[in-house]
Amino acid sequence: MQEFFKWSSKWWPGVIPLVMFWAIAAWTSTSPLETDLAARSTSALKDTVLDKRRIAVAGRDVTFAADAFSEDGRRSAVASVEAVPGVRLVNDETRLVPEAKPFVWSAERDVVRVTVGGNAPLPASKGRLLEAARAGLAGVEVVDQMNMSRGAPPRFENAALLLLDQIGKLKDGKVTISDNKVSLSGMARDLGGREAIAAALKNLPEGFSVAANEIKAPPYIFQAYKDPVAVTLTLTGYVPDNNVHAAVAAAAGRKFFSEKVVDNLKASVGAPGGFAGAVVPVLGALSRLSTGTLEVSDREVKLSGDALYDAAAAQIRAGLGKDFPQGWQFKADISVKPAAAPVDATVCQQLFSDLLAKGKIRFESGRATIDPDSAGLLDRLVETALRCPTANIEIAGHTDADGEDAFNQTLSEKRAQAVTDYLVKAGLPANRFTAVGYGSSQPVASNDTDQGKAQNRRIDFVVR
Amino acid sequence: MVYLMTFHWSWLLASLLLGLAIGWIAVVHRGQGVPRRTSWWLAGLVAALVAVALARLIPGRPGYWLDLALLMFASYLFGCAVGSWLRAWALSRDAPA
Repeated sequence: MQEFFKWSSKWWPGVIPLVMFWAIAAWTSTSPLETDLAARSTSALKDTVLDKRRIAVAGRDVTFAADAFSEDGRRSAVASVEAVPGVRLVNDETRLVPEAKPFVWSAERDVVRVTVGGNAPLPASKGRLLEAARAGLAGVEVVDQMNMSRGAPPRFENAALLLLDQIGKLKDGKVTISDNKVSLSGMARDLGGREAIAAALKNLPEGFSVAANEIKAPPYIFQAYKDPVAVTLTLTGYVPDNNVHAAVAAAAGRKFFSEKVVDNLKASVGAPGGFAGAVVPVLGALSRLSTGTLEVSDREVKLSGDALYDAAAAQIRAGLGKDFPQGWQFKADISVKPAAAPVDATVCQQLFSDLLAKGKIRFESGRATIDPDSAGLLDRLVETALRCPTANIEIAGHTDADGEDAFNQTLSEKRAQAVTDYLVKAGLPANRFTAVGYGSSQPVASNDTDQGKAQNRRIDFVVR
Repeated sequence: MVYLMTFHWSWLLASLLLGLAIGWIAVVHRGQGVPRRTSWWLAGLVAALVAVALARLIPGRPGYWLDLALLMFASYLFGCAVGSWLRAWALSRDAPA
């Protein structure tokens, strides 16, 4: 033992190279060691859910900062870093993710991008929300501005996914979840989008409710243009369904006796209530115009054009809109077409015959009430009568041979008188017109067929 | 510790070999040794450094460098002890012959 101490007193010279070794080892190994420990710490945290994770290694000491989503998660994350072999000390700078109150999440869409912002409960759910946004909105940039927060209501993710689905149906707008209240605003992309969103909101997860749904629909447009040159009526825009489409097309066919109806209508949901009830009468008003445009935008009806004479303009302005459904507005911009040049009686007769060859004045069956569908034709007859102010005109009523002669005689007289009254109301002097009923005595076709009977039921204008 | 040994085995081996060589020479070396009193002081210093390392008082890189120094020093001392003992054993075996 004594000897051992003697030897050991002579070991000191080796300390000099040893110190050199140590200096070289420290110089070369520090950085690789730190890198290795950082990698090991990171992989130890691989399965731990953390936000804003930051690992810094100095020597063998790890500074570990992160936002954890629960106290247990925070402690176990620190413990797993402490357990990494080689780590000497862990400077614990972890904290809990802040709690959001209220827990607000939103997705906002503008022309080119969708911005998802607010709070998200976990990185995984944030990832799923972004993925859903990208999948649902192909070609639209998705911007992530979400922060991690605790305090999400139960089933938050389901609600957010459902709302992200609705964002695709918006042209622009914003959806927001605040705790368990959902609010939406903006403009739907298509007609019917608003309704589709409202329907989808019924599937919100339990506990969520809609606080405000201020989604607006694009205007529901229906247009009709009467072109006197091409002699066409062009219908464009939307109708609620095929039944209304058929009804509108049939009404247009009846009211526009000489025009060709060009039907470009499409069926779409989202029509305002009472659509057919408003559009059909206003088509009647359009039929009385020489040239005119009808624009229906949601519940606003705009009719502009030229009436054939003063009284017609006044009647259209005053008469329409009265029997509109609740909430509908009517705006008329009606001017009067300049009076056509006067013509002599022969030309007048020709014009009457031409008009009555194209269309017939219709009455309610068996009665002397003029069908409103004939207003367009009657206005054209009035206009023609105004062109020959000196001619006296016989309004001749005819019926078919069905029924009793006496009844037919009376009916034909009453119908002729009804037409005369219309002309007088239009401002023509009553003394120019004679209403005559001929019953079934002057048929123009066989009374054996329905077609022939229809031809025999007529009003003729005869210039005397 | 195990981690440091596996990470630095080459340096520890170098220290050990250095220790073996110095230990081998020390037995027959005729030079001046460290005085007894100084060696106690040095032992005390090393003990203090070991205590500081175990208590993890020095943070960051200097702490790591201290750990590394102590490990290499321990390896060196072990090498010296084995070297000296081997030399002494070799000499004692040769002497009778």
